[in-house]
Amino acid sequence: MNNPSAATATNVSKIYGHGDSEVRALDNVSVQFETGKFTAIMGPSGSGKSTLMHCMAGLDEMTQGSVTIADIDIASLKDKDLTKLRRDKIGFVFQSFNLVPTLTADENIRLPLLLGNNKGNEEWIQKVINTVHLQDRLTHRPSELSGGQQQRVAVARALASEPAIIFADEPTGNLDSTTGNEILSFMRKAVDELGQTIVMVTHDPVSASYADRIVFLKDGKIAGELLNPTPELVLDYMKNLGH
Amino acid sequence: MFRIALKGILGRKARLVLTSLAVILGTSFLSGTAVFSATLNRTFDNLFSDVFRNVDSYVRSTQVIEADFGAEERQRIPVELVDMVKQVPGVADVQADIQAFARIIGKDGQPLGSEGAGPPTFGGVGQEFKGALWTISEGRFAAGPTEVVLDESSAKAGKFALNDKVKVVAQTGSREFTLVGIASYGDVRSPGGATFALFDLATAQEFLAKPGFVDDILVSGDGTLSDEELAKAISAAIPSSYKTETLTGAQITKETQDQIGTALSFFSILLSTFSYIALGVGSFVIYNVFSISAAQRQRENALLRAIGASKKQVTRALMIESVVVGLFGSTIGLFAGIGLSKALSALLKAASIDLPSGGLVVPSSAIINTIVVGLIVTVASAWLPARRAGRVPPLAAMRETAIEVVALSRRRTLFGLLLIALGAATIIAVTSGASNKWLGLGILFVFSGTITLGPVIARPVALLLGKPAEKLRGVTGTMARQNSARNPKRTSRTAAPVLIGVALVTAVAALAASISTQIDGVFTQQFKGDYAISTNARGFGGLSPSLADDINTLPEVERATGIGLLTVKIDGKGQYLTTINPATVDGVFDIGLTSGTYADLTAETIFVSQKYAENNKAKLGDTLQVTLADAQVKTLTIAGIYEFDDIAGKYTVSRDLIKDSTVINFDLGVYIKLKSGVSDQSARTVLQAAVDKYGQGTLLSKREYIDKQSGSINQLLGLIYGLLFLSVIIAVVGIIITLLLSVFERQREIGLLRAVGMTKSQVRTTVRWESVITSLLGAVVGIVLGVGLGWVIVYALRDQGLSSFSVPVGPTVSILVMAFVIGVLAAVYPAWRATRVNLLAAITTA
Ligand SMILES: Nc1ncnc2c1ncn2[C@@H]1O[C@H](COP(=O)(O)OP(=O)(O)O)[C@@H](O)[C@H]1O
Ligand SMILES: [Mg+2]
Repeated sequence: MNNPSAATATNVSKIYGHGDSEVRALDNVSVQFETGKFTAIMGPSGSGKSTLMHCMAGLDEMTQGSVTIADIDIASLKDKDLTKLRRDKIGFVFQSFNLVPTLTADENIRLPLLLGNNKGNEEWIQKVINTVHLQDRLTHRPSELSGGQQQRVAVARALASEPAIIFADEPTGNLDSTTGNEILSFMRKAVDELGQTIVMVTHDPVSASYADRIVFLKDGKIAGELLNPTPELVLDYMKNLGH
Repeated sequence: MFRIALKGILGRKARLVLTSLAVILGTSFLSGTAVFSATLNRTFDNLFSDVFRNVDSYVRSTQVIEADFGAEERQRIPVELVDMVKQVPGVADVQADIQAFARIIGKDGQPLGSEGAGPPTFGGVGQEFKGALWTISEGRFAAGPTEVVLDESSAKAGKFALNDKVKVVAQTGSREFTLVGIASYGDVRSPGGATFALFDLATAQEFLAKPGFVDDILVSGDGTLSDEELAKAISAAIPSSYKTETLTGAQITKETQDQIGTALSFFSILLSTFSYIALGVGSFVIYNVFSISAAQRQRENALLRAIGASKKQVTRALMIESVVVGLFGSTIGLFAGIGLSKALSALLKAASIDLPSGGLVVPSSAIINTIVVGLIVTVASAWLPARRAGRVPPLAAMRETAIEVVALSRRRTLFGLLLIALGAATIIAVTSGASNKWLGLGILFVFSGTITLGPVIARPVALLLGKPAEKLRGVTGTMARQNSARNPKRTSRTAAPVLIGVALVTAVAALAASISTQIDGVFTQQFKGDYAISTNARGFGGLSPSLADDINTLPEVERATGIGLLTVKIDGKGQYLTTINPATVDGVFDIGLTSGTYADLTAETIFVSQKYAENNKAKLGDTLQVTLADAQVKTLTIAGIYEFDDIAGKYTVSRDLIKDSTVINFDLGVYIKLKSGVSDQSARTVLQAAVDKYGQGTLLSKREYIDKQSGSINQLLGLIYGLLFLSVIIAVVGIIITLLLSVFERQREIGLLRAVGMTKSQVRTTVRWESVITSLLGAVVGIVLGVGLGWVIVYALRDQGLSSFSVPVGPTVSILVMAFVIGVLAAVYPAWRATRVNLLAAITTA
């Protein structure tokens, strides 16, 4: 199967600050994320992983370059349209504080749809809920859910609107390894069984090995790639990068 | 610790500004009203010391009737005293003065000024005199029966120039004069917005009062005697049979100033009462802001505790902060208040009430009061939150979020219910016979109970009120609804100022509605005619009695009768008598005679109300001694008893009673019954013509008249609403501050929502609806309490003749609409702030 690109970054640079205090968080980065694939972004702390994700997801403005999501050039979008793009075409899973405390799990899952006044595909939503095993937790509020359950709700929310791409920034960073692996399996399943596209930032080789492909970042530049990784391969590769 | 506290304040300027804002508003009303009252007082003091500057002695009658509401009716003195005083050695010049009703009719046929509602309209004497109150600024004083002088303001307002014809209405009718001069009073164009028409002495006596009488005599000495000696000399020269007294210029100045002072003090008390209510409402806002900011600093405080600060030290740090905020806020409030009082003066000027110029008076008492009260209120409001902050466990420093812990204790519920039960019991006790004075306590209990229960009822009520928002706005509505219910303590504290304001407004509206209904009922029962002529002149001037006589002669009219009011002394006390014309009253105005006939009412008889007869064991044939304003004593026989005393009061007499006295009487209303078959159109035409001839009074159909009477209460209502508006402003600011702090606290949540696709306009919608729900919460509970309070007040006034309670439906609806609008307006700035939340800062965890 020929996999078109769900998201493309072309020559993206991001500079924070001015003059002496200038930080080049992204330096002329070009990268493509294929549809239907699970990609991990790795790199040392401060290498620009989060910045890349924020720029590609339309959460932050880049200094230079262009990004397309589902063939839409996001640099040209006004705030309102960019917001709608995030709502309809992008799913998000953050490290923590993913859920609106006043809404139930069900409402949180449907949040992007509800904000768009969009019923969504009920069959799909039920499938997502079943996949992440949340059937009997739907009426609970976030404060009544465990950390793992909260992240599962977040994953379900990211999937609910059938987005073109899902960005996850260290989604298991705050979880113990068993719960973390559970979440990663769900994400794997979402790609394999539901045909979703996921880009995940992580610094854990084990987590990264769930992905189809790993993109390495160092000092704001692409430092290399690895296909079909295993934890051992990842560790080896990182050693070679001088990490 | 002091340095930490200070750093805490300066480190967060925004919080300082928000907290101070509540203090500033509350104290600015306090200082504003104090400065305004003091300025007004000083202004009038100056005016009258100016006016009597060259008056050395002042002669007037000792015969005076003091009636209710500070009204005073002093007898006139014979004009021959003027010449007598002039002969006294040491007197250089004298002027007789008259203060009477006179109304200037504009070129368009309409009287100048608004009838009755505005400042009084006077007629008097203007002549060349060393100590004259009036100085001519253009032309000359009037001489002869066809000339008049007007005050500058009136001349300007009526666009009158010298030699113009001016129509003036007085007690004796209306007449046309030639304008020969324009005068000013002291250094103002006219005092306090009153209008003046000035004549020569003879014309004034004959046109304004009664020939041969004047009100008082102003004397200017030749300098050979001191003021005291002069007064003594004049006093000795006037035979005691004239019953006069002679005051020095200083005495009359002081007396006038005191009288004005008393009149103004009522106004001052009213203003300061409402500014204290506003401050009380403001204290809720201050308390709320301190609570929220203490909660938001929970981690900080816990950290201080963890590194070894004691509970006391944490509490003290917050208390120091409150002292700084209190001082800072009150000081700014003081200056803001001075600005406010300037605005008030400008407002009066715009309403063409020309106050003599003279700088603002900022009494030191106002300064001290504002600062001290502001400081006390602030520190007291911060006390509970500060103590709570001290109790934060050091462990809380490790916790992630710093959201106010909400524990609704059972104790609170029980205590609140207990207070309400106590209040209800007290009120029930009063309705079953206990003294009215307990009502206040009962009301206080119910209010405190409701405020205590606030956090308990806030959640369910907010959820209920938020239902429509959810229906209308989908998930943004859901979030607004949940946000308003997520922190019931905060929501109820934010809604409390709205609640108090709304409860007071509703109670006043309920009282007014009940009074209106009552008045409506009374007039419907007693007024049997088709048309009425009304005047607003209360106690000063009115309709000439000959108006009713004129109308009676019209072929279209079956019968017309005038009803007036007379001030007399009975048993040494001032009393009002209703005057009627027994020949025409029957069938037009019904006082519900139960014994006697109208024919029995003559100059020697009196009717009394049934209630009076019962209370005083009076019966037909008993006699009453009545002292008229000119000191004549009349012995009147009770010749009839009537039932309807709402309008007629305790005593009713014939207008013939004063026929041979110097007392002047006006009709306050003329009631007209048409001949059958006369069309409204033709009736209106002829009646209006009759009214126009006098230039006084307003012709109204029966319905219009009754509506006007029952609507008269609305004027008072307007004033009270205006004053309560102060509290509303504070309530709105309270909502704004709380929303801002909530938005600040929920930054991450808002950032998350923005990330997953909430548009800016949806963010605004959420904040707006939360605000509306909070505001409506206060309004709904406030209306419930207010209606209850209104009922209690109406009940307490049952002896004053209020018999039925009406729910103010219209005002209630307006209040709800207003609460909605207030919610929307209060949300504007916080909603805008919410859209400015930095998305990335919110989702990237520190
Ligand atoms: N808001 C910011 N202002 C200034 N510098 C920033 C900001 N955000 C990130 N940076 C810098 O940009 C670089 C990349 O950061 P980030 O993308 O968060 O790294 P990673 O997620 O790989 O740890 C770092 O050097 C970081 O200090
Ligand atoms: Mg990162």
